[in-house]
Amino acid sequence: MNRVILVIMGLMAALVVAIGVVVVVLVAGGGEDEVRGPQDTTGQEENGTEDGGGGPAAGELRLLGPEPLSLDPHVITESASAVYVVEIFGGLLTLDPELQLQADLAQEIPSEANGGKVITADGTVTYTFHLRENALFHDRKPVTADDVKYSLERAADPATQSLVAEFFLGDIVGVKEKLAGEATEVRGVQAVDDLTVAITIERDLPSFLYKLTYPTAFVVDQRQVEGDPNWSRRPNGTGPYKLEQWRLGERIILKANDRYHLGAPKVETVRFLQAGSGITLYEAGDVDVTGVALDDLQRVQDPADPLNAEYRSGTSLAIDYIGFNTNSPPFDDPTVRKAFAMAIDKEQIASAIFQGAIPVANSILMPGMAAYNENARAPEFNPDEARRLLEESKYGGPEGLPTISLAESGTGASSGPGTAAIVEMWRDNLGVEVEIEQAETATFFQDVSQGRYQAFLIGWIMDYPAEDDILNIHLDSESPNNDTFYKNPQVDDLLRRALLEPDQQQRIQLYQQAEQIILDEVPWFPLFFGQYHALVKPYVKDYLIPPAIVPRLRFVTLEAQ
Amino acid sequence: MQGLFAYTLRRLLWVPLVLLVVSFFTFTITRFGPGDPVTILAGQYQDPEVIERVKQERGLDQPFYEQYGIYMKNLLTKGDFGTSITIQRDFKVWDIIWPRMLVSLQPGLVALVIAFPLGIAVGIFAALRQGTWMDPFSIGTFLLLQSVPVLVTLPLLVLIFVVKLGWLPATGWGGPRVDVGPQDIALGIFSRHIILPALVLSLPGVAGIARLVRATTLSVLGEDYVRTARAKGLPELTVVSRHVARNALLPLVTVVGLSLITLLEGAFFTETILGIPGIGRLGVEAAQSRDYDVILALVLILAAAFVVANIVIDIAYTFIDPRIRFGAQRSG
Repeated sequence: MNRVILVIMGLMAALVVAIGVVVVVLVAGGGEDEVRGPQDTTGQEENGTEDGGGGPAAGELRLLGPEPLSLDPHVITESASAVYVVEIFGGLLTLDPELQLQADLAQEIPSEANGGKVITADGTVTYTFHLRENALFHDRKPVTADDVKYSLERAADPATQSLVAEFFLGDIVGVKEKLAGEATEVRGVQAVDDLTVAITIERDLPSFLYKLTYPTAFVVDQRQVEGDPNWSRRPNGTGPYKLEQWRLGERIILKANDRYHLGAPKVETVRFLQAGSGITLYEAGDVDVTGVALDDLQRVQDPADPLNAEYRSGTSLAIDYIGFNTNSPPFDDPTVRKAFAMAIDKEQIASAIFQGAIPVANSILMPGMAAYNENARAPEFNPDEARRLLEESKYGGPEGLPTISLAESGTGASSGPGTAAIVEMWRDNLGVEVEIEQAETATFFQDVSQGRYQAFLIGWIMDYPAEDDILNIHLDSESPNNDTFYKNPQVDDLLRRALLEPDQQQRIQLYQQAEQIILDEVPWFPLFFGQYHALVKPYVKDYLIPPAIVPRLRFVTLEAQ
Repeated sequence: MQGLFAYTLRRLLWVPLVLLVVSFFTFTITRFGPGDPVTILAGQYQDPEVIERVKQERGLDQPFYEQYGIYMKNLLTKGDFGTSITIQRDFKVWDIIWPRMLVSLQPGLVALVIAFPLGIAVGIFAALRQGTWMDPFSIGTFLLLQSVPVLVTLPLLVLIFVVKLGWLPATGWGGPRVDVGPQDIALGIFSRHIILPALVLSLPGVAGIARLVRATTLSVLGEDYVRTARAKGLPELTVVSRHVARNALLPLVTVVGLSLITLLEGAFFTETILGIPGIGRLGVEAAQSRDYDVILALVLILAAAFVVANIVIDIAYTFIDPRIRFGAQRSG
């Protein structure tokens, strides 16, 4: 019995002590707040204790950032990782914030004019890149031609398990063999001397150089990659920023690379928080920039709101569209597709549901693309014509249609606001009941590519600003990414000719021609273009919002307060 | 003591079998469920050939029993929980889970420390006030807290204490840092970050403890020795603390184990909503992104924790209550 008493008393004592500690923490925490005011939250607390100050006064830019999946440039496919990777690494070429092609590790962009591009008799093209002598890894080691060759071969090594190597590097002679495990090296990449790399591609492809700006083509440090299994947690890149700290699920801190060959960044430290509600942190002064979600948009767009002066927006090379599976009834009939398209009032959705925050798309190519065509015309809203077309189709009207569902990615109890509006318009304007089918993101893309849906709401984010990155890969009948199974020999021909057309004017014309045919036959019905909304504190200058994920942090300056 | 040893051994021998069954079922469910990690990685680049090639490279094209065999062999011979694909690509699963476990433990422990004394106090109080309005009122208040889902209380508390009053930090987690091997973690237990999750995890559990304590206290109050104690003229406080509480609290030891389960369920919500980098949030993310090895490791570790915790509690019980003798079960 004595033992029992001891155990219980011990237990009680421990609990009492522990609860006392909690009470003290609670009380002490509360007291602190009263003294320091609600503005001062833990962000600063931590800055103060461990990083020696923080915020704009200390030359630190504080942003919200997504959690990256990996910082290995050769394997990443998603923007969450790319945001960091484009700042930490670099390749031969890069894109500036206006999405113009720029030399990065290379001294200049190879062209026929400067002798860097040679077309051989067999149709292959060899680009010669001269590396900058002052291009260094973060550890001050110079970048050599061997590093470039190693990196491209690593990206194409099946063991690297890149899901996009073939897509971005597949044009290089020997990459497909390497990916298939049939070759140990990539023949098309040769180190001519220490600072010269020659890359040979199978055919003259005007958009090829753009593909080299994607992280798959970035340069990594061979010694580090081979010597350190955890290298991507402390990567030795060549970009404007170095990784200082990566705390999973919490924060990423980047430090300026003072030796950066295109000009050292002006902000010494960039801190990305990976948790918390953007606008709350922004208003509390814990971050200097935040994206604005739809819910808060109306508020910050109101000129009377104090935040309005700090509101910025920018377009992004992205599009939302309805994909009609052209193999699946009733959308195997172009007339039905057109009828469904003409029953949707996009302007109404944009203004009533999205408060005009997103631009309506009437073309597939977005503004900012060379072949963007203001006069391109997707089927316009016209309910009478829509009904007439439906009667005229091989299904003969609403009664003849099979059950239809529109798929979207998402697992919420309710569908996206735009989705419900579209379905309602189909009911009101066509007299057709369409079900909304929600799919988990994990399986949505796969189900789309396997043709499991009749119609689906989906988006596409451009990888590089060339037309083939959307038209050829989605609408050429042979492309594995043709998710609507659209097949039109005339369009195939136009797209393939455009892909290889060296003359820009000619190329633009071919693409615009193909685009108009596609718009008329409606495998895709464009809905909205991408638009990014942000709040930026007034002391943050030159915070650019480029239309794609490109290095941009080195341009930012912080004004002393 | 010989009986106790044999009993412990017998119970421990069951552990591997339980874990084997758990691992097999989890493995099967993940492999046959819809979606797979490589397809998710491919995102908007769905090229079936490329996806197939990467699956081959990762061994995901093998029959599932072979994959299971390889996984178990690595786990048993090397203690290798595998590699993450979609959470942190190519990171060792253990390196991902270990720091997060230490984060999740913090609100969990504080919640236990709040819930038990509070539940005990409320339970004894209610029992002593049996028949008055205070009995159902005190228990009822905490039953209400138990009945409202965390999904409702948590956003409400965030709205009040973070958004409106600004007393608590908006970010999920922080505090002094300690290095735990693969990375350092924040000791939120020493910062204001602990308050919301600890409250939300503890309050729903109070009612259960209080009701149990109330029931046992009532039965103890009717015992002869309590009547004797009162008859001796001992002050009520002494009767309650020395004779009632001591005996009424014994069954609570078993509840500690069950409370762990409740805490864990709560962690999935609190960590996801508050953005705390613990295993609850990790579990949700891993399931959503089909990170096979992470899911399996989490399930295995948690299953092992429960099984072992229950064994420890059963053994502790024999020390606390001499009436229970495991060896004697068969002979007498």
